[in-house]
Amino acid sequence: MSTGDTTDGHRPVLRSIDGLGMDAGMPAVQVSQLRKTYPGGVEAVKGIDFEVAAGEVFGLLGPNGAGKSTTIGMLTTTVRPTSGTARLAGYDVATQPLLARSVSSVVFQDAVVDGALSGRANLELHARLWGVPAARAGQRIKELVDAVGLSELIDRPVSSYSGGQRRRLEIARALVSTPRVLFLDEPTVGLDPRIRHELLDVIVGLRNREDMTILVTTHYLDEAQRLCDRVAIIHEGQIVALDSPQVLLAGLGREILEFRVDGSPQAALAALRERGVARDDGFAVGARVTVPLHEHAAADALAVIDSERLRVSEIATRVPTLDDVYLELTGARMDEAA
Amino acid sequence: MSAIAEAPSIPLRAPGRTRSASALVTLAKRRASLTSKTPRQIAVPLLGPALLAVVVAPALKVATGGLHSHIDYTSFVGVGSVGLVIPLSCIFAGLSVLVDRHSGAQRELLAAPVPRAYLVLGNLIVAIGLATLQVAVLIGLSAIRGGAFHITGAGVAWFVAAALLFTVFMYGVAETLASKVTKQEDYVGATPAVAILPFFFAGALFPIGAMPGVLTAIAKAFPLTHALALMRYGFIDPSGKGLHDIWGMHNVAVEAWLSLAVVALYAVALTAISIRVFSRSAVS
Repeated sequence: MSTGDTTDGHRPVLRSIDGLGMDAGMPAVQVSQLRKTYPGGVEAVKGIDFEVAAGEVFGLLGPNGAGKSTTIGMLTTTVRPTSGTARLAGYDVATQPLLARSVSSVVFQDAVVDGALSGRANLELHARLWGVPAARAGQRIKELVDAVGLSELIDRPVSSYSGGQRRRLEIARALVSTPRVLFLDEPTVGLDPRIRHELLDVIVGLRNREDMTILVTTHYLDEAQRLCDRVAIIHEGQIVALDSPQVLLAGLGREILEFRVDGSPQAALAALRERGVARDDGFAVGARVTVPLHEHAAADALAVIDSERLRVSEIATRVPTLDDVYLELTGARMDEAA
Repeated sequence: MSAIAEAPSIPLRAPGRTRSASALVTLAKRRASLTSKTPRQIAVPLLGPALLAVVVAPALKVATGGLHSHIDYTSFVGVGSVGLVIPLSCIFAGLSVLVDRHSGAQRELLAAPVPRAYLVLGNLIVAIGLATLQVAVLIGLSAIRGGAFHITGAGVAWFVAAALLFTVFMYGVAETLASKVTKQEDYVGATPAVAILPFFFAGALFPIGAMPGVLTAIAKAFPLTHALALMRYGFIDPSGKGLHDIWGMHNVAVEAWLSLAVVALYAVALTAISIRVFSRSAVS
């Protein structure tokens, strides 16, 4: 068995198990034509393809019901794919589920802990089930508990933890086995803003320190922008865009004009397009019109609005966000859909 | 919060026999830890059967004069109460599967690199341990209350084998039920039919021959009927009267082996079914 330790003591990104594991250069996650149709005919995932490189942080973005959790379920072997393949570190999740699970860990959307047991007992359980040698597990647990700030609480029953403390414990637990692929399923959902930011700091810290591939699902676009090297926007079971946040944002230019129309927003958008100020990537949601300016200045758009005598309010310019990318691609406001 | 040190490489191991045994022990230890945090799971299933053994049986013996045979009625009901304590114990244990699913760590366990059958088997190990404790207390109480037991090595073996296999069967029933239902209310609602009803037909309080012929025939299909006859054969009735009531043969050893085979068949079948149902319910 090769553990792939290097002479400088750093853990290499790629290792192999008895010659079965991933080769150098092999993606940590490979998804090909993955499809899931639930009994009753609900098509939750419609043949998606993506690869995640070793060491990459990859985001799956989309509202509730988009197919993110089903995708994570298939990758973690709790949802059976209808067709297609998925591999973790080279292991097929359908035909080699134990090996696929041995190289991955999950932080679930809601609390999945033994509340009656102590935090330490929960971490030790994970270590034993993932086959981490006892001595190493003890050291690793100590490091992780310190890192997520739970040293004072770790021997108390988890039922006495707050929501944020519990989520930090779950993140620490997922890392005890030093997984090659870490799944974070909506890791900050349901947490108050302060704890959410605190937790994001923890995840960013992990991202910087641990050589692991992270696949995170979220419908908080700021979160994805902050954490991810690349994101896939998933809508109604299909990936509608996949690239780095920077590239996706660059498609909308440097500045966006946004305003509210008293009248037909589609007519306003059409007028801006006719005068060459808006392109096809301009969109309207409700009474609000969003226009990526590209090479134009806001003044050009305002001149059109004046000349067309459009009754507008709440005019503002700002830099594009992933929210705009999502809206442009799907025509629906993400948080409304969520 | 401080930063995490460079993660050392953990040698990943493909699941092997040693690793499998270790995982099974780990899962059983987890279940035992959770069970020990809820003492009511240990004490409550014992209350009703213990009252039967130490209050009802001696009182009925006085009121009715007992079984009018060489078998002491207090010990007859003492062993018969095992037919209530094991089902109740297993049903309580199955309830913890529902708790695991709704508010426990079941999904973490499903994501672990261990066969999912181990999740069922780990729980089964603890259910057996708990039932053993409860049965020992029950028989002890019955003996203290005046029950007459004839303990021999072979008798203990028959008793233990029957009790063990019946516990395996009942836990299979409980786990299957827990995997099938979604709400605790539905699970609790099914308890009388699953855990208590067979007790009244299986000869726990009187010989099955005392019932009408149709009910006697139905009783012979229950694994509990065979298990109780075997346990009494082991502890209080070396002539095997309960086994004769079932099989009508003249060779009590053959009857005992046949009854043991019946209970074993039920145990193996329900364990297989429970693993299959759990594994299927765990994956959508």
